[in-house]
Amino acid sequence: MSARPGFVLEVDRSTPPTLFWRGERFTLEKLPEGSRVIYAPEPHEPLDDPLAAIRHALANPLGDSEPLSALLFPGMKLTIAFDDISLPLPPMERPDIRQMVIEQVLDLAAEAGVDDVELVVALALHRRMTEPELRHAIGDRVYDAFAPNGLLTQHDAEDRDNLLHLGQTDEGEDVEINKRAATSDLLVYVNINLVAMDGGHKSVATGLSSYKSLRHHHNPETMRKSKSFMDQHRSELHSANWRMGRLIRDAGIKVFQIETTLNTDTFPDAFSYLQKREWEWKAKDRIGFLGAKAALDRMPARYARRLFHSVKAPHRMTSVQAGEVEAVHKVTTENVWAQQGVVVEGQTDILTLGLPYISPYNVNSILNPILVACLGLGYFFNLYRNKPLVREGGVLIMTHPTPWEFNPVHHPSYIDFFEQVLSETTDPSEVASRFEEGFATDPWYIHLYRTGHAYHGVHPFYMWYWCAHALQHLGAVIIVGGDPKSVHRLGFRSATTLADALEMARDVVGSSPTLTHLHAPPILMADVQ
Amino acid sequence: MNSRRDSSRSLLPTREVRADAALGGRVGSTLRRLRPSALASRAGSAHFPLAAPTWPGTVPRPAPTPELGVHYDTAWSRRYPVRLARAIVLDNVTRPVAKVLAQPRLRGEDALVGLDTPLIFAANHASHIDTPLILSSLPQHIRHKTVVAAAADYFFDRRWKADVFTFLLGAIPMERTKVNRKSAQAAADLIADGWNLVIFPEGGRTPDGWGQPFRGGAAYLSIRTGRPVVPIHLDGTRHVLAKGSSTIRRSRTTLTYGLPVWPSKDDDARSMAARIEAAVAALAEEATTDWWTARKAAARGESAALQGPDAVAWRRSWALGPAPERQEDIAGPEENSWPRKTRR
Amino acid sequence: MKALILERNLPRFAASRVASIFGSGRGAGLGPLQLLDAETPELPGDEWHTLTPLLSGICGSDLATIDGRTSRYFEDLVSFPFVPGHEVVGVLADGGTDHAGRVLAPGTRAVIEPVLGCAPRHIAPLCPSCSQGATGLCGNTAFGALEPGLQTGYCADTGGGWSEAGLVAHASQLHAIPETFSDEDGVIVEPVACATHAVLSAGIRAGDVVAVVGAGTLGLASIAAITTLIRPVAPCTIVAGAKHPHQRQLADDLGADHVVAPDQLARAVRRQAASLVLGGRLTAGADVVIDCVGSAASITEALGLVRPRGTVVLVGMPGVVSVDLAPLWHREVRLVGAYAYGAENAPGHDSPASALSPERRSFELAIDLVAQAGLGRLVSARYPLERYEEALVHAGAAGRRGAVKVAFDLTTVKGRTR
Repeated sequence: MSARPGFVLEVDRSTPPTLFWRGERFTLEKLPEGSRVIYAPEPHEPLDDPLAAIRHALANPLGDSEPLSALLFPGMKLTIAFDDISLPLPPMERPDIRQMVIEQVLDLAAEAGVDDVELVVALALHRRMTEPELRHAIGDRVYDAFAPNGLLTQHDAEDRDNLLHLGQTDEGEDVEINKRAATSDLLVYVNINLVAMDGGHKSVATGLSSYKSLRHHHNPETMRKSKSFMDQHRSELHSANWRMGRLIRDAGIKVFQIETTLNTDTFPDAFSYLQKREWEWKAKDRIGFLGAKAALDRMPARYARRLFHSVKAPHRMTSVQAGEVEAVHKVTTENVWAQQGVVVEGQTDILTLGLPYISPYNVNSILNPILVACLGLGYFFNLYRNKPLVREGGVLIMTHPTPWEFNPVHHPSYIDFFEQVLSETTDPSEVASRFEEGFATDPWYIHLYRTGHAYHGVHPFYMWYWCAHALQHLGAVIIVGGDPKSVHRLGFRSATTLADALEMARDVVGSSPTLTHLHAPPILMADVQ
Repeated sequence: MNSRRDSSRSLLPTREVRADAALGGRVGSTLRRLRPSALASRAGSAHFPLAAPTWPGTVPRPAPTPELGVHYDTAWSRRYPVRLARAIVLDNVTRPVAKVLAQPRLRGEDALVGLDTPLIFAANHASHIDTPLILSSLPQHIRHKTVVAAAADYFFDRRWKADVFTFLLGAIPMERTKVNRKSAQAAADLIADGWNLVIFPEGGRTPDGWGQPFRGGAAYLSIRTGRPVVPIHLDGTRHVLAKGSSTIRRSRTTLTYGLPVWPSKDDDARSMAARIEAAVAALAEEATTDWWTARKAAARGESAALQGPDAVAWRRSWALGPAPERQEDIAGPEENSWPRKTRR
Repeated sequence: MKALILERNLPRFAASRVASIFGSGRGAGLGPLQLLDAETPELPGDEWHTLTPLLSGICGSDLATIDGRTSRYFEDLVSFPFVPGHEVVGVLADGGTDHAGRVLAPGTRAVIEPVLGCAPRHIAPLCPSCSQGATGLCGNTAFGALEPGLQTGYCADTGGGWSEAGLVAHASQLHAIPETFSDEDGVIVEPVACATHAVLSAGIRAGDVVAVVGAGTLGLASIAAITTLIRPVAPCTIVAGAKHPHQRQLADDLGADHVVAPDQLARAVRRQAASLVLGGRLTAGADVVIDCVGSAASITEALGLVRPRGTVVLVGMPGVVSVDLAPLWHREVRLVGAYAYGAENAPGHDSPASALSPERRSFELAIDLVAQAGLGRLVSARYPLERYEEALVHAGAAGRRGAVKVAFDLTTVKGRTR
């Protein structure tokens, strides 16, 4: 059966209740008659033979680039950088795309007699990956061949000795990236393009850069000018990254970009109802839902969390393209859009979201309140092109338990940000001017980032800046079923039920509002006409 | 009616709103204003997901994909756990029950000795007890790897029926009259896959006790797969449970296996069907006389026709002879019947 | 005239000790405290004056005494039976003279500096501490003309604040309060003076990070003292841990830079000091920790928060505690006590408060501070003596019940005019 495109449902009295994620749980909610629900397109058919497709892409590069085999020569210095744990979501079943691509690249390198090869995880300011995570991403073969020899490193944005300042862009933005990558004869970047934001010049210019570089585009001003950051052509975030990427190119660093796209097959069979339209649920789906719900509702949250984080997604590669960054990314973005795009007519007064248990920054971890805000206001809100789904001054309603809970290993600075910064102000600009520097330079966070598995001290600030566009655009944000203390700390309003939340929303948008629900995951991009 | 629905009814949309919606003529994904009371008023399909979901009126329904009759997919019933469960039920429930009810006498089992599977078993058909009886009587190595061709319109017309019979008997759906390509293909694939097939070439149970003409299905499959047809004759099953009857009585039955009928090069389905029918007729003769007598009659071409005299109903019935004397007639007519009738 | 009188009665102390397990102040009804008829104490000498209490606060040390939790250290420093109450604002019905020899007219409202040092005990010459004004450190509090008693409110001869009958105060103990003061402002002066003394003795310097553990009366008064007295000369960062919402609100209002829940205090201090963490302790933490609780847990926490060579000031009254002092030894932490009050900025005092005019007593500073910071608002509940059991229970659960300071209200005594 060919995949059906995305779909906008108009809720009528025959419409069954709609699935809402609530972190590690989910509920069925009755949406008012006349509401709209946006469903993601069904998963596209994956590539029949991904390995052959990768080989083909490496041999037939796009844009102004020679085939990879022609770029490899004995005695050269080759660095392979790849995306970190934040992609894809949820982590994919083995074999991971990165493993498949890197193995092919290494095969070619071996054929060409290249000896000096290093692998770098493009962490930027994310946490370092653990050994099992790395093994999952790049496979045991690659790991065992490189890690024991110290040839698999994780980019360290605080290692002054291993950063190289390349100069400043026309706009005065510092470009500072990983020295090994910058001094290689060839930098191969292996990307997974889960959403339209990923990839392109952002891969190297962000993934391998330092705070000094990042602060030029990871700030409230840029984020407010990125409408949305999922739409490269209207995103100041991307403009900055493109400027930097071109500077990197002009500095003589040869980047061979390999980008891949995935289909939206997000949940394994046992949870397939999570990506189905409710009225098409079969008996099996309903039994599965009732069973899972009963179990999850009774299970302590930490067990439910462990359960969900052990879920590997069955998504499969739908395309792979390689070569010159911009030419490659153009095709990649088109493919992402083809899989995820849904045309939606008109903006809505109220947008509802069911927030799941996972975001890019809490794989194998807790979706803490800051990440809840970032997932809703940062990611889901920005899943649009042209216009936001919700009108200016409209209301965003999200369902999530939002517990006052943090993973102290992964998110130490988040705790302090939540306790000490958000208690003072929630205004992104003020947050930035008063607190960012202190957190960015705090030696403890730097220590944990470099030696442990902690996000950099400044990372929670970026999460908050991610929300800046939404915070400026929205009239109110309501979290349903959240811990009121955390919700208030975020500066949002707390409601017990969706019905209460809609009543509260009416105070803001009037008594007969329009309502749209974004039925994600699976990820979709709304093209708002 | 519960109070929730009452309240929902009392809050049904006002006429103006309805009219407004109609005038606006908005369809599809365009935005609609929510009624202020919309939230409180909706009860709708409150029982989902316990009950099946209703279909939104705003979504066009796709043409129904046929899932029943010959379109019913029985593949699940041949997965190992299901086979195991069926084997357990067959050996511990179906078989003992069939033994007790039908008290089968087996004849000609040696016809199966040394035959390679898969085989096609073709039997005359008088009763619902026939299938369990045949399954119960087959040697163990065949019994648990057998599917039964069952009338698609009768056994596969409801989901639950299809599920039950597929599970219990390993039934596969087949048309009674003209076998279409899909079901023939499915059956042939199964035979090629090593599955034995039980089929009733008459296409249904006898209405009066006499046989009906054999149709070509069994013969067609035999010719197509090159596997032999083992004729089976069942005698007396009509007295356990006849067509149209709802009472089950204990009665003695006889099940006779015949020598396999192999498809020959110049057979077509019609000619081979005739040979199968003749083989079953010979077995019928054997059931009432003895093997030697039957062989002689067959050699003379004088086996009593399965289909009985071409006459009015009472004469056909008369020609069947009296029903066997049954134990329950001695014990009392109602004693062993089921469902049991209440006695005054 | 009634007064609450505490007698030496071991069975009653024991009963009270047991009852206090269910909450501080719970043992008041069973314990050694009784509401009895009482007379105004006799004046022990010429420089003595009668003070009739208007408001008298319930202090943590009072509760500890009534609960039978007080360290046995104090056994010889009290004389039974006594009337508790050392946080007193009262009225001088017959007038008098104050600590500086100023004449006070009849009807003047005054607070007492309760320490009974050499001067009230008619000991001459004064001991070295008293002669420097550091009366809190006087070693003669069990000698001289009075029965033993380290303060008014622990001495059999002077009476105490929890009395309708009044108490006697030596001129050196008296400080008149401004006309503009409410009675609440007056009664809070004593604890504020304690906090002022503690904060000024902590050696806070410009740029320091100061952590305040505990946000009861002393904690909040300490915050006020730092923001009002020290910050103008030595800008510093105050991080306060406060358990209850009203405490957090007050701490914030009084000028603490970061007010967090107690379990967040360590993280907040770490952030301010940009410290690393080792074994649950900060490698470079707060320069000064003001511990206003005085329990084993709070002292342990304070030792974990302070930087090497930093100072931990114990303002809350500790008892027998079990604390691992290895970090104190290893990191050369100064653990100092801060009791009562004295003459601030005595010689050798290396506090920036040396910028203050010399020889101001803690009480004088405290009176200014109360006026500036409006600390009378810390008095949250007033009870008549008759409802002392309820009052003590309330005081024992002050934080939880949204209160800071609970006081006995003696202004409504029959026949009294003001």
